[in-house]
Amino acid sequence: MFAPVGKSGTATKETAPAPLGKGGVAIRTAGEILITLGLVVLLFMVYELYVTDLFSAGKQSEASDQLNGEWEHDRTLHPELIDGKAFARIHIPTFGVDYNFTIQEGTDEAALEVGPGHYKGTSLPGEPGNFAVAGHRVGKGAPFNDLDNLSSCDQIVIETSTDFYIYKVLPYDDEIEDWAGGKGADPKCKGVSTLRDTNSEDGGAYSETFGRKVVLPSQGTAVNAVPYKDAETLPKAQQAALLTLTTCHPQFSAQQRLIITSVLTQQVPKNQVKDYGDLLSKIGEA
Amino acid sequence: MYAWIWRKLPGPFAAKLTLAVVLALGVVALLMFIVFPWLEPRLWFNEVAVN
Repeated sequence: MFAPVGKSGTATKETAPAPLGKGGVAIRTAGEILITLGLVVLLFMVYELYVTDLFSAGKQSEASDQLNGEWEHDRTLHPELIDGKAFARIHIPTFGVDYNFTIQEGTDEAALEVGPGHYKGTSLPGEPGNFAVAGHRVGKGAPFNDLDNLSSCDQIVIETSTDFYIYKVLPYDDEIEDWAGGKGADPKCKGVSTLRDTNSEDGGAYSETFGRKVVLPSQGTAVNAVPYKDAETLPKAQQAALLTLTTCHPQFSAQQRLIITSVLTQQVPKNQVKDYGDLLSKIGEA
Repeated sequence: MYAWIWRKLPGPFAAKLTLAVVLALGVVALLMFIVFPWLEPRLWFNEVAVN
């Protein structure tokens, strides 16, 4: 019943395929090239998602060590801003006690490869106006990967050589209306207001400012001293001290930008707390 | 193409295989360390700033 199989068998008679003609060779080679290109594209995805993380992790830890070294020796109030060089550190307790990245000066590719970058010319930590920071969401350490998981009143801590500045995410679009009676009454939202001017019909200078917003990449006004408004809207002394984080949106795309805006609620000089862990227990996050 | 490369590799099967693996790794390294880092800033999908 079963015919023997193999070279000596009769069931499968192996015949060598006819040699390919010129056309056949050309088609086979074209196919091989296409498969190869497909593999290269896959490899590029691996590079983007994983290999850049490795490269950036090295750069980030180097920048972090350097920053620590500088802070040990020199506690000047105003950092010297040098392109691509770290001058502050961001902690987001919501993302874990270990979550921290140095903030570099500038938002060019080289600075962002190390970690989040400060928009040149925007305010510095703790100052009135808008301390604006951009960061990658995919690859390169992806510091801002989870920004869309933040909710209003979540704390963002900016560490400088002398102080911890504690910012809290502003109310979201759908929370503004009933803020005082709703989420705003939560003790963890202490110090967070809607920034709306109740005397003004349209809400005043900060009528466009929300905790979370998705905008077009061309909307550079998101990092203005008063977000989405002209510089002359308010004199500097009357501006709220904001912190704005920007990253790409949706994830894996650059069609839009995700904008998280938070407001300064507390400043803790470093000599009042032992370290960041101690700070966390004091501000109720640990 | 690949058949042609295989035929050009010298030596017995084991040597051919080793050479082929080394060649493949070399191409991957070239892509990862030189081509991709050069290419990446020229692509659009990693922009995170507003301007």
